[in-house]
Amino acid sequence: MKDIGEEGLPLEVLLVEDSPGDVRLTREAFRDAGRAINLKVASDGVEAMAVLRREGPHVHAIRPDLILLDLNLPKMDGREVLACIKADTGLKTIPTVVLSASSAQVDIEKSYQLQANCYFTKPVQLDEFDSLVKSITDFWLTKVKLPRPALTDDPKIGSDPVKRTAARLSAR
Amino acid sequence: MSRFNEPQTHASQRPVAIKPSDGKAGVADFPPGTTGAAVSGTPRRFGTKEAMRSITVLKAAERHLAQMEGKYRGLLEAAPDAMIVVNEAGEIVLLNLQAEKQFGYRRDELLGQKVTNIIPEGFAERLVADDLRSAEDAVSQQIGTGIELTALRKDGSQFPIEIMLSPLESAEGILVTAAIRDISVRKAAEEHLGQMESRYRGLLEAAPDAMVVVNQSGEIVLLNVQAERRFGYRRDELLGQKVTNIIPIGFAERLVADDLRSAEDALAQQIGTGIELIALRKDGSEFPIELMLSPLESSEGILVTAAIRDISVRKASEEHLAQMEGRYRGLLEAAPDAMVVVNQVGEIVLLNLQAEKQFGYRRDELLGQKVTNIIPIGFAERLLADDLRSAEDALAQQIGMGIELTGRRKDGSEFPIELMLSPLESAEGTLVTAAIRNISVRRDAEKYLAQMEGRYRGLLEAAPDAMVVVNQGGEIVLLNLQAEKQFGYRRNELLGQRVKNIIPEGFAERLIADGLRSAEDALAQQIGTGIELHGRRKDGSEFPIELMLSPLGSAEGILVTAAIRDITTRKKAEAHLLQKMEELNRSNEELEQFANIASHDLQEPLRMVASYTQLLARRYKGRLDSDADEFIAFAVDGANRMHRLIQDLLTYSRVGSQGKDLVEISSEEALQQALLNLRGAIEEGGALVTHDELPVVLADEVQLTQLFQNLVGNAIKYQSPGVPQIHITAARNGGKKWVFSVKDNGLGIDPQYFERIFGMFQRLHKREEFAGAGIGLAICKKIVERHGGSISVESQPGQGSTFSFALAGSEKKS
Repeated sequence: MKDIGEEGLPLEVLLVEDSPGDVRLTREAFRDAGRAINLKVASDGVEAMAVLRREGPHVHAIRPDLILLDLNLPKMDGREVLACIKADTGLKTIPTVVLSASSAQVDIEKSYQLQANCYFTKPVQLDEFDSLVKSITDFWLTKVKLPRPALTDDPKIGSDPVKRTAARLSAR
Repeated sequence: MSRFNEPQTHASQRPVAIKPSDGKAGVADFPPGTTGAAVSGTPRRFGTKEAMRSITVLKAAERHLAQMEGKYRGLLEAAPDAMIVVNEAGEIVLLNLQAEKQFGYRRDELLGQKVTNIIPEGFAERLVADDLRSAEDAVSQQIGTGIELTALRKDGSQFPIEIMLSPLESAEGILVTAAIRDISVRKAAEEHLGQMESRYRGLLEAAPDAMVVVNQSGEIVLLNVQAERRFGYRRDELLGQKVTNIIPIGFAERLVADDLRSAEDALAQQIGTGIELIALRKDGSEFPIELMLSPLESSEGILVTAAIRDISVRKASEEHLAQMEGRYRGLLEAAPDAMVVVNQVGEIVLLNLQAEKQFGYRRDELLGQKVTNIIPIGFAERLLADDLRSAEDALAQQIGMGIELTGRRKDGSEFPIELMLSPLESAEGTLVTAAIRNISVRRDAEKYLAQMEGRYRGLLEAAPDAMVVVNQGGEIVLLNLQAEKQFGYRRNELLGQRVKNIIPEGFAERLIADGLRSAEDALAQQIGTGIELHGRRKDGSEFPIELMLSPLGSAEGILVTAAIRDITTRKKAEAHLLQKMEELNRSNEELEQFANIASHDLQEPLRMVASYTQLLARRYKGRLDSDADEFIAFAVDGANRMHRLIQDLLTYSRVGSQGKDLVEISSEEALQQALLNLRGAIEEGGALVTHDELPVVLADEVQLTQLFQNLVGNAIKYQSPGVPQIHITAARNGGKKWVFSVKDNGLGIDPQYFERIFGMFQRLHKREEFAGAGIGLAICKKIVERHGGSISVESQPGQGSTFSFALAGSEKKS
């Protein structure tokens, strides 16, 4: 199994999560899931949007294939981030999976209203968490066909595969 | 039955108009021949062959005449009528001076001449026998009868005569003496009379009254068509009949003279006077009449014309009038009050028995007396006009109003009266009818009432609330001490004042009828209901009051008693309570929010603890010492338990915080959903879950599903050996509520734990026996309570359990 997508490039996942414990658990889970992916972490909503819009220090950030979004975030919470992503023509095609500790109906309802692609409650049991991450990997990163953004969407990179790869690598 | 059915023995059949009368009562018949001249003697037979016309005869006649002379000539010549004596041959053998005069012949010109020369027809023939009769018979038939014929004078002129024949036996055979009367004058008179009668008859018939003309013997000689009608007879049934047949008593008697008066006198006394009698119809019925008599001179003597007027109607109206007066008097006498009628000068003109009794006078002592004798002051004055008003005005002002005055009895004692006046128009001007009521008793009653009021006042004053009594005009008519205190007024400052002054809004309005309801209705709606309004004190400050109204029938109409309670304290307490409740609600909400947030926020660190202890266990189990493994295991278990507690706490808090509105839902569908959720457990436990038809109820569907799920889940969980059987039913509890029961055949519960099992985190079993934090029934209880119901359990250990809860139902049937 290779850690690359269709084009032979590694899969990019943006994890928006303020809890270092969860970040580590997620990393461990992805590792246990047997998929080495590029996991970019934004620890608050503002940073998440900066990464996605390649603003400031994230100007070279690579567009993720999947976003894992926590709801309770400092500065700008997950719902606002979700709303911004889905309101952005360039970003809304990126599958955004809500991964929250909350099992409250209001949160679930609200998330889907904001066009979250799916909603998961973080399991307390480690085994369940592992299997959840494995499911996400299997589904969203393996089985699902995802749109590839036009190579011209970044004038600085263009459609040159070498430049793209370089850009990704440099952004890492 | 008509009296005419009786034999009529006395009735005369002769025509009245030509029947002579001698003018004396009781004389009706005349002997024949009275009208003839003084010819008398015994008739003898004449030889029929001795008729001759010769000197011999003449001689014999002369002889006879000479014989007769001495005896009869005087009489013959003195007779007023023409007299001729005729022999059987129709020759005149004798005549008198009147005959000479009437016929215009000299005596010698007629003697020996045929009688047909002077009486051309009808006389000679009567002397002749024909086939059917002898001459004697022929003559005899005519003897004594007046025969009207026509005579012929010498000059050829004719004139009407009446002849009366009588036979005269003589030597020459039977002679016939004929008395011949010139009836020219009578005929003319008769003609005139006929004319007169027809006129008179016209008048008679035209008369509105029944008219009968009666002769002195009491026989009806004439009548008109009204008489026929009134009495029901045909004319011919009455003519000639006794008048007593139609007027049995009182008329005929008046025609008769008695010892004291002559018939004329008897009659004269009655002439021109209406006499009231009773008349009798043919059918036997009677009717009252008034008779007016007038005399009528006639050839038959004095007749009496009687005008008969039927006075049935007048009688009836007179009777009615009398009745009316009787009734009026009856009313007057029957009146419970003393009644006196007084004229404008204050004199009593009429009074009743009660007036006599009340004032102690006899009627005649009061009639015509001044009314001031019995009502010294205040009545007579009212009859008088003064400068400012007319008598009518003076009276009008008092009409219909009770005036309280003092009456004085004959013995001088006085008593309170109430006077009601009413005007009475009469021929004598406006009279005043005064109904006088002795109000001594009422006065006593009023006194008693005043006593009662004193007692009532005691009650009123003793009342803990302010009490005001208000009339329909919204004026305060009574109040108690508490009212004075509460509103800060003195009593006399409030009496007669508008209740609006102390209760500005909401009370007076309730006394007033509007277009939609009467005052009584308006009031009735409020009676017995506490109304919260505001009272206003004299100083202008307001305070909350509660008003209780009750109607009070009184002489002045319906009064309203208002009990006014100062509810300042209660209002404060209510406000305080409301505030406390709000606080409590807020506190509850905060608590729920706290529970929610706490459990939510607790999740995060818990998850860290749980996840990393598990990660530790996964990666380092068997790589550290056995103690480390055991420690890690306890840490993992503790984290898991804490996780479950937090989950349950979260669920529990969400029953209140995340509950939805109660709507009509099918409880059966909720149960089906619960059973679907429990499908795994049911299959695993091999449970048999059955239910009756379940109703539509008012509920939160998610929570009702949770409720069924917890109860059925418990029933499966706490099972005894054998097939778990669970049955769910619902039944109305008499009201609108439905009582649901979830019955199982499981372990059962010791009644001592019934209370505890519904508490939070209460467990009856060791953790090792049954999993769970012990919050399921607490959640059930909270759900049921949120639905306004209650939950209970019936059970015995080993006998299974029945959990019952009630929910508000719906009109719809599921």
